[in-house]
Amino acid sequence: MIRSQKFWIAVCAVIFAASAVWCILVLTGSHGNTVTVKQDGRVIFTLDLSKETDREFTVEYEGRKNIIEISGGRIRMKAADCPDHVCVNTGWLTANIPIVCLPNKLVIEYAEPDTGLDATAG
Amino acid sequence: MLTAFALIIFTVELQLPTLAPVPGMKLGLANIITVYAVYSFSAGETAMVVAVRVLLGSLIAGNMVSLVYSLAGGLLCLAGMLLLRRVIDKKHIWVCSILGAVLHNIGQTAAAIVMMQTKTVIAYLPFLLVSGCIAGALTGMAAQLVVSRLNK
Repeated sequence: MIRSQKFWIAVCAVIFAASAVWCILVLTGSHGNTVTVKQDGRVIFTLDLSKETDREFTVEYEGRKNIIEISGGRIRMKAADCPDHVCVNTGWLTANIPIVCLPNKLVIEYAEPDTGLDATAG
Repeated sequence: MLTAFALIIFTVELQLPTLAPVPGMKLGLANIITVYAVYSFSAGETAMVVAVRVLLGSLIAGNMVSLVYSLAGGLLCLAGMLLLRRVIDKKHIWVCSILGAVLHNIGQTAAAIVMMQTKTVIAYLPFLLVSGCIAGALTGMAAQLVVSRLNK
């Protein structure tokens, strides 16, 4: 069976279908209002977006800067001086997809939803 | 020689605009060379081509941080494809290429989890897998054409 070409084609099809379903699950998953900003694995900010006022702040890492903007209950990476700007292009934080700046090891993500009653109620 | 080809393709691809706002998502056109090498040369030779390509590619891109992700993905992909070479014949190279792409994505994400020390980046994996399957099929078909034309 392992030598059958059809078996491996089926494996590909299963992986493709499973990841498509997984994508939908990630996009439709629920999340709270609490956002954490992590740098190098450490949580440097925990923010409740429903209570934050609109503002900008800067996070530095080895001399490089990321500017994070909070506006109207949303959060995004406004600017970064890393080479690829993937984090800036990600835009506002939506769903359960974290905003990641790989070069500066900075992550903005929703906190784990299973930490309180909010997750089950909301 | 093959490494040079792969680097040229890699550099050209760098100039293309990023299609999706997902870190690590790309066509991986240079992998045509990897897949071709897997089916035409010994394991050691192929490993050399891949290792040099990844190292020099990161230098050209000027992004040494991405080296860790590329290396983790590339080596896992290579190991998987070298094993699959034994069971998948030359008429189904694209299948091998898809599975290689999947392994590459898993390696990348695993490296990201270790580097960033947050497991939420796994949310990117399904998107990388979907794009990896498509890109893998395309590069695999291209490599299949090259192999069948050159190995006559």
